[in-house]
Amino acid sequence: MATEPPPLPPLTPVASAAAGPAPAVKSLACPNCGGTIELRAAGYTVTLICQYCSSVLDVANPDVQIITRYNEESQRLAIPLGTRGTLKGVEWEAIGFLRRSENGSYPWDEYLLFNPYHGYRWLVTDGRGWTFGTMLTAEPEPGFDGLRVGGEAYKSFFAHGRAQVDYVLGEFYWRVAVGEEVETADYVRPGWMLSFEGNAQERNWTLGELLDGNEAAFGFAMAPQRWRPGGRPPLAHQISPYAASAGTAFKLALAAVAALFVILLLFGGSRASKSYDFNVRSDAGAASATIGPITLDRAFQAVTISAQAPGLENAWVDLDYALVNRKTQESFEAYGIAERYSGRDSDGDWTEGDRSATTKLAMVPAGDYDLMVDASGQRWAYSGSNGSTVTITVASGGRFWSNFFLALILLIVPPIFMLWRHARFEAARMGESDQGSALASLISQDDDE
Amino acid sequence: MLAVACPNCGAEIVFRSPALPVRVCDYCRTTVTRIGDELRALGQAAVLPFDVSPIRIGTAGRYDGAAFDIVGRVRWGWSDGSWNEWLALFGDGSHGWLAEAMGSFMMTRKRRLSEIPSMMIRRMIEGGEPQLGETDRIDDLDYRVADIKQATCIASEGELPFAAPKGWTISSVDMRTTTGAVASFQTDGRERGLYTGRYVTLGELQPTGLREIAGWAVPRFAA
Repeated sequence: MATEPPPLPPLTPVASAAAGPAPAVKSLACPNCGGTIELRAAGYTVTLICQYCSSVLDVANPDVQIITRYNEESQRLAIPLGTRGTLKGVEWEAIGFLRRSENGSYPWDEYLLFNPYHGYRWLVTDGRGWTFGTMLTAEPEPGFDGLRVGGEAYKSFFAHGRAQVDYVLGEFYWRVAVGEEVETADYVRPGWMLSFEGNAQERNWTLGELLDGNEAAFGFAMAPQRWRPGGRPPLAHQISPYAASAGTAFKLALAAVAALFVILLLFGGSRASKSYDFNVRSDAGAASATIGPITLDRAFQAVTISAQAPGLENAWVDLDYALVNRKTQESFEAYGIAERYSGRDSDGDWTEGDRSATTKLAMVPAGDYDLMVDASGQRWAYSGSNGSTVTITVASGGRFWSNFFLALILLIVPPIFMLWRHARFEAARMGESDQGSALASLISQDDDE
Repeated sequence: MLAVACPNCGAEIVFRSPALPVRVCDYCRTTVTRIGDELRALGQAAVLPFDVSPIRIGTAGRYDGAAFDIVGRVRWGWSDGSWNEWLALFGDGSHGWLAEAMGSFMMTRKRRLSEIPSMMIRRMIEGGEPQLGETDRIDDLDYRVADIKQATCIASEGELPFAAPKGWTISSVDMRTTTGAVASFQTDGRERGLYTGRYVTLGELQPTGLREIAGWAVPRFAA
C-alpha cells in the first residue's frame, strides 16, 4: 500500500484560544468490525477494547492497529462505560473495566475513572463495598509492622498475592491484556487500603478509600452495595461497625462508674460513731443495751452498726437491732450475727464464721435516735466459749459497696458485649489475612471464604 | 520579546526569551530558529494528534512561588504510549518542563551536569547502560531507575529551547524517589541532559487559562 501524502497544514491558528472548548471525545472506527468507538482519554489511552466486537486495539499511534481480533459481544457492566458519576466532589467518567482474580479465585472488578483535569482514579469492588483508589506518586515509607503514608500507619495484610486480568473492556493508558499478571501486596488501616502492584518493569502503589455504602451507588446511580454481618467475611480494610459504639459505651460506662464512685466517697462516709461494750453469756439469756442518742442530721442517710466479739469461740451471738426515733418512735429494725467455729478433722484444723457482724440501714431520715440491741449468746459445742465481750459501734453513713459493684456490672455489660462483637468482627476480618490464615492453619480450621 | 515574520508564511511569530531560540509557527507549522538576528526555517513540524490535555499554550501557573507561562510543547511517543512535555517559561527567563503522563504531572528543570556528583549519572554521560532498579544519591535523595525507554518526537509547537523534529529519537531514563521527587536523564547520542523536579498536582500549580474541554467543568482551583 502506498504511503499517504502528509496532511495539508491547517489554515487556522493551532493554539487559538478563541476556538472554543476542545472536544472531549475522539471517534474512531474499529478496524475489525467498523463500529464507531469513542475515545474518551485521547492522548493518554494506549489500549482500547472495542465495545462491539471486543477486539483489542492499539491506539498509541494515529493508525489504529488490531492487537487481538475478537467477535464477541461485550459483557453488561454494573457501571456501563461512558457513565459519569460524582465522587469526592469531582465528576468522573468510567472509561475502562477490568475483571481480575487471583489465579481465577476471589474475582473483583475495577473501573478506570477519568477526568481530564484530575487524571485517573479507580473504583474497585468484589461485591462487599466500593473502594476509591488513587495512584501514589511517592513510595510508602517503611514503618513499624508495615508502611507509612502521609503519617498514617498501614499494617501488612496480604504479603504475596498475584493478580491476573480475566476480562477487559474500554480504554486504558497502558497495554492491558487478558492473562496479564502482577505481584500484589496489601496493607490496611481501618477504612483504607494501600496496595502494591509490580512486575520486573514497574512498581505501583495505590491508596484506596473504602466508600460509604451509598456514596458510590449515589455517585453512579446504582443499587447500594455494602457488607452485612453474617454473610461473607468483612473486607480487609473495613471499619468494624462495633468499634466506635463499643468505645463510646466503654467511655460512658467508665464515666458513670467514676461518678458513682465519687458520689459514694463524698456522700457515703462514716461520721459520728458511738460504741457500747457489753458482756454476753451463753447461759444467761439475752442481754440488752441502748446506745444513744445518735443524731442524724442529713435528710436521709445510711446507718452502719457493727458488732465485734473477739472472744467468741464455737459460739454465736444473735443480735437484734432497733433504731428508734426519739420523737416519732419510728423504728428501723435489723439483724446481725457474730459467730466463730473451729475444730479438727481429717483435713486438719478448720475455722469458720466471722467474729464481727456489720449491718447497714439505708435511708434513715434525720432525727435523734436510740439504738436498742438484744444480744443472745449461744454455745455450739461443749468446747464453746461461755460468753464474750461484744462491742457495738453505730455510725451514720456507710458505703453500699455491693450496690456499687452491681451497678458496675450492669454498666459494663453492654460495652463488653459490643467489644465481643467487635472482636468477632476483627477475627473474621483478620481471618483473611496472612496472619489470620497462618493462625487458622495452626489450629487446623477450614476457611473457605 | 522579539516579533518577526515567519520566513515561510510571513505570519508574525514571537520569540519571548533568548534562551528559547526555536519557534514553531502557529499558522504554517514551520519550525523557525533564530541565531542572533538570522532566522532559518527548519521544515514543517508534524500536526499534534488530538488529546484531551487540560494544558495549552497560554496556560499560566505557579511552581514553588514562581509564576510561569506555558509557551511550548513537545509530544513524545514510545512503544507503549505517548506523553506531553510542556515548556514552562518562568519570570526570570529560566524554564522548566511540565511533563504530563498517565494523568499525572511532573515539573522538572534542566541541571548542570557538572554539579551532580553521581557515579550513576556519570556512567550514563559516558554512554553506559543503566539498570532498572539501580540506585544512586542525587541532591541528598535516593533515586532509583524506574523506567528506561526509547522515545520518539511525535510533534511540537510553540517556543522551545531546541528544535524537536518529528522522528527525533532519544533514550530516556526515569528515576524515582520515595518522596515524589523525580529525575530524568535524556540523550540523543550527541547531547545529554539531566532534569530533576517532582510530581505536582494541577491544583497546586494554581493554573489559569486551562484548556476548556467540552462537557467537563473546569475545576474550581483554576477559576
